[in-house]
Amino acid sequence: MRALDPTVLVWLALAAVLIFLVVNPLLRLVLTSFQAADTHAFTVANYIEAYSRPRYIEALRNSLMLGAAVSALTLLFAVPMAWAISRTDMPGKHLIRLGAFGAFVTPPYLGAIGWILLAGPNAGWLNRAWMGLTGAEHGLFDIYSFPGLTFIIAIYSFPYVFIFTSAALEVVSSEMEDAASILGAGVLRTTWKVTLPMVMPAILGGVIVTFLEAIALFGSPALIALPARFNVVTTQLWQFFSYPVKVEVAAAYAMPLLGITVALFWLQSRITRRKGYVALTGKGGARRPIRLGAWRWAMLGYCLLIVSMSVLLPYLALSQAAFARAWGQGVSLANFSLDNFHFILFEHRTAQQSVINSFVYAAWAACLAIGLALAIAYIVTRELLPFAKLLGFVAMAPFVIPGIVLAIGFYAAYAPPPLALYDTAAILVLAFTTRFLPIAYANAAAAMRSFNPEMEEAVRILGGTRLTAIRRVVAPLLKRSLVGAWLLVFIPATRELSAAIFLYGPNTRTMSVMLFDLSEEGNFEHLAALGLLLLVGTVAIVALGYRVIGRDFMVRGGS
Amino acid sequence: MRRTTFGLLAIALLGMTATPARAGLDALAAAASKEGEVTWYVSQTDSATADAAAHAFTGLYPAIKVNVVRTTTGIAYQRLTQDLRENSPHCDVFSTTDLGQYATLKQHGALAAYAPENARGLSPEFQNFDPDGTYYPTYAGMVVIAYNTKKLTADQAPKSWRALADPMWKGKLSLGHPAFSGYVGNWVVELKKLYGWDYFERLARNDPLVSRSIIDTVTVLNSGERVVAVSPSPSALESIDKGNPLAVIYPEEGAILMIAPSAVLASAPHPNAGRLFLEFLLGPAYAEVTVKSRGESLRPDVPALPGFTSFRQVKTVHLPVKDVLDGIPTVTEQWRDTFGG
Amino acid sequence: MAKLTLDGISRRFGDAVAVDDFTLALEAGEFVSLLGPSGCGKTTTLRMIAGFITPSAGTIEMDGRVLSSPSLSVPPESRRMSMIFQSYAIWPNMTVAQNVGFGLQVRKLPAAEIRRKVDEILDVVRMGELGGRYPAELSGGQQQRVALARAIVIQPEVLLLDEPLSNLDANLREEMRYEIRRLHDAFKITTVYVTHDQAEAMVTSDRIAVMNRGRIEQVDTPFAIYNRPRTRFVAGFIGRTNFLEGTRAGDEIGFAGFAVKAALFPDAPAGGGRVVLAVRPQAIGLARRPPDDANRGWWIEGTVTQRAYLGEVWDYTVAPAGSALTLRVSTPPSVAVEVGEPVWLEIDPAHVALIPS
Repeated sequence: MRALDPTVLVWLALAAVLIFLVVNPLLRLVLTSFQAADTHAFTVANYIEAYSRPRYIEALRNSLMLGAAVSALTLLFAVPMAWAISRTDMPGKHLIRLGAFGAFVTPPYLGAIGWILLAGPNAGWLNRAWMGLTGAEHGLFDIYSFPGLTFIIAIYSFPYVFIFTSAALEVVSSEMEDAASILGAGVLRTTWKVTLPMVMPAILGGVIVTFLEAIALFGSPALIALPARFNVVTTQLWQFFSYPVKVEVAAAYAMPLLGITVALFWLQSRITRRKGYVALTGKGGARRPIRLGAWRWAMLGYCLLIVSMSVLLPYLALSQAAFARAWGQGVSLANFSLDNFHFILFEHRTAQQSVINSFVYAAWAACLAIGLALAIAYIVTRELLPFAKLLGFVAMAPFVIPGIVLAIGFYAAYAPPPLALYDTAAILVLAFTTRFLPIAYANAAAAMRSFNPEMEEAVRILGGTRLTAIRRVVAPLLKRSLVGAWLLVFIPATRELSAAIFLYGPNTRTMSVMLFDLSEEGNFEHLAALGLLLLVGTVAIVALGYRVIGRDFMVRGGS
Repeated sequence: MRRTTFGLLAIALLGMTATPARAGLDALAAAASKEGEVTWYVSQTDSATADAAAHAFTGLYPAIKVNVVRTTTGIAYQRLTQDLRENSPHCDVFSTTDLGQYATLKQHGALAAYAPENARGLSPEFQNFDPDGTYYPTYAGMVVIAYNTKKLTADQAPKSWRALADPMWKGKLSLGHPAFSGYVGNWVVELKKLYGWDYFERLARNDPLVSRSIIDTVTVLNSGERVVAVSPSPSALESIDKGNPLAVIYPEEGAILMIAPSAVLASAPHPNAGRLFLEFLLGPAYAEVTVKSRGESLRPDVPALPGFTSFRQVKTVHLPVKDVLDGIPTVTEQWRDTFGG
Repeated sequence: MAKLTLDGISRRFGDAVAVDDFTLALEAGEFVSLLGPSGCGKTTTLRMIAGFITPSAGTIEMDGRVLSSPSLSVPPESRRMSMIFQSYAIWPNMTVAQNVGFGLQVRKLPAAEIRRKVDEILDVVRMGELGGRYPAELSGGQQQRVALARAIVIQPEVLLLDEPLSNLDANLREEMRYEIRRLHDAFKITTVYVTHDQAEAMVTSDRIAVMNRGRIEQVDTPFAIYNRPRTRFVAGFIGRTNFLEGTRAGDEIGFAGFAVKAALFPDAPAGGGRVVLAVRPQAIGLARRPPDDANRGWWIEGTVTQRAYLGEVWDYTVAPAGSALTLRVSTPPSVAVEVGEPVWLEIDPAHVALIPS
């Protein structure tokens, strides 16, 4: 047997941390679902109660329908856009990419608020314009509806499918399309019958991610579904947490969500792993953009429409509200005011604190997630432990757990004694770390895989230890991709609501929770001001990241 | 009739109360300053009023910081019970609108028994609110009908609760949600008593816009999104003060009188600061803040602003604790079934 | 005492045997190549010498000290060896000088001395001006030299090279072969060189160990490997060869369609039995006219079936009369024969290798 390398203990400790973060909450969740509230005895009563009222079943059905509708709409938005950018000579690609990026960075619930200002059935700006133009009694759009909710989720989910699809389309050689056109097929037929089917696994992968996101989302449904008077799984789970708190029933109710997510994720990995597609799309020849002629302006128009809907219009509405005394009074000098920003920044102590909290927790979570992910990726790729592959699987597991379910699991596992992490920053940071660990790990694993082990072996044969190799060679060389991965964790962490809504305490409120609370009083002016601050802060940090890494970092496929 | 009942109670109980701990305010202020901060879970006022109150308090006692945790009634209670369940007390003073919550908390011994000096300065109607001396009224307002004057004339506006269920108001109503708002909870219980649940079935058919907080109904009216709302009188009147096109109607059946209490928690991390803050809430400085936000004045030495309609001048209904205690959780479930969320 | 000994080294991965009973002793300063097709176990052996893999059986000793055995493995950082990797593994985040000086830094030499040694070695590998460059700015050949400099400057006990030239183009490869041998001669480091390219092995090595399927086929000098292959594999792997399988019958060895006097091959086993001869195409003479005395030497009559002009040689395929066999023959460019022409092939027994069974 080999002499025991002391670094093996380090690796084992890291593996233990991983299990603590991922396995324990999940286990506690399952256990809790079978526990009676006071006696902790085994019972199936929770499941019975969770599925007893028609309302609860209705919510589950609504969620599934929502997921399907959002997926379909997202396809409609993302695939033409990805195709136009990756394979045609449409002008303004940089602008559209920026727009897609803007949609990615915007918290969905903030966009939802913007759209409430735009499309509230009677007072929304678009409706007022419509009523003014046509003299109609009612507005055209009602955001407080199932289609409204579908729309709002879709315009902020399409970046996922967009990234997946364009990444796949970038690798398809033009020779594939040439072969079809030589045989007489026009552009549309070629695209529909040749190009798109080739990237079908990537598209499907993106769609599945979108579906899972949609059913696990909390913010937008809470803002729209309640006034629209329907329920989804996440809002129903939230209700189980209102007085009296029924963690056990919530756990039981969350199980189908978990089950669906696991099943779809498994399906997605099956689809994207089919070798045939990889071989075909591999390193094929050069890419020549398809000439669209006059149609390229139509495509540009379509892409601009999508970008306006997700970014331009809502931001305009939010800006108007942020600088207004009363948003409903419209744009005028009399209505212009900087008071909202002043109030948020200087007077409302809770708001100030929430801004700091959000950025601090997100930064901590990003550092922890990247650090842990890198260590695990190192162990897995270098096979330092016998069960290394299993570790990689555990690191990706949280991807399969909806944020809100993870939060409940964390709550069940860590809020009460012995750890008593209720209302601490720690429980939020840990939950965020766990939630975004899969993103960090996917990036770290990809980076490690592309890293030639001979680089480290060269260090060792020259006399350096493994740790020297990590310090002097691995870490510096991975810096670039790590910074990118850090940002990919930091950005969603700053606006994370689904997990935070269950785990925050009076002192650990984050900006997302703050925004959500402000929406309850209808205080859109302050809300918009805070939301704009969040956006400006995020964009500033991303711009910094751009400078450090270079152009390609997000546009070329993050997840 | 309520008033006489209160009056009799007051006379009967004056001098018969068991005396919990009393302390001179100076000594209390000194002890509180040592603690340095007080955490206030509040839902009975809006954020701006709550912040104004905190500001006023720190003006009087500069050494004490006020942590304002302003949420809806339902959320505040959820937070408190979670804190207590996890043995992680944060809240020093609890001020919501649902009397049933206080009854339950008192039952579990979660409230501190304390007789504030400033309670003596309250108007007679507000004396001896809780025979056990664990909670005291600190805010009062009414649930009324409000409407947008740009879209409706005074003649067209509905004059009674019953009128709201008329199909002519389809797509024009704005309501709060009883799970979140104590005001709405009280209103629902009362109207269920008056007209049965069928009233709400008809109301649901009118497609109202349901917000979480009842305060949101005022902003919904202001923006012109809806035309008629069931709103709290303080918020509506404040909004009128600001120049918004609203008007208030005191319904025929009676406006719902909300007397919202405050209490110091037995598990308060800053017990002295908590008691001092309760004194403040019952005192003249806070009463000034209250009347400015168009709440009722609870003290005879602090008059309401001109043009204010007090509850004494209109027909009101006030629910006893027992009705609220059992009623609100039941109607919340019914509401969810009927309104779908 | 031998510098480096591998004694009965074996390595299995699950059920698959990568290296089987590998025994070899290197003298100090010797240059030995491990030569074989991919999958023959040569890289695995090299990595066991380096310490990245532990043997399943056998021991590796250097200067009498055990480095590897199934129960003990001195980590690579403590073996005082050096390695050139197939990818060179030059660290892109460090300059040439920093790369080369790394090993000296680990050994905690003073900075001034490190600078001096780095400058010296860079001159030796003819990279003197390029110390401040980053690897991304260098060509493949230059990166190669940096790898060499980095490995040699620490004066290792043993230098290991893992197919270092496979990423270079043909001309560069040839140049670098000589370069590597030159450096070896200058510094006299014991070297183990892994390659699948016979020409490389032949040019650089003192001895070559030919490997096949995890086992050593033959260890010998390049000359002996080429001219006196002891197994069929070695004969076929190194250079091109014709295999003649015949049976000894009396005083003749009979092949399909022709025969040769057994007296010409005194080492062939007496009595009946299989005889396998290996003849290089260059060792067969091609004549257009029959010999004066067909009984002197070994002549085979045949017909040219194919031919190819390769510039340096003519490559002929000849079918001996009355035989289904084909023989490959290489001649200087001046000997041009048409397809279908009859020819006489002369084979010199001195240039024939007898493959033991």
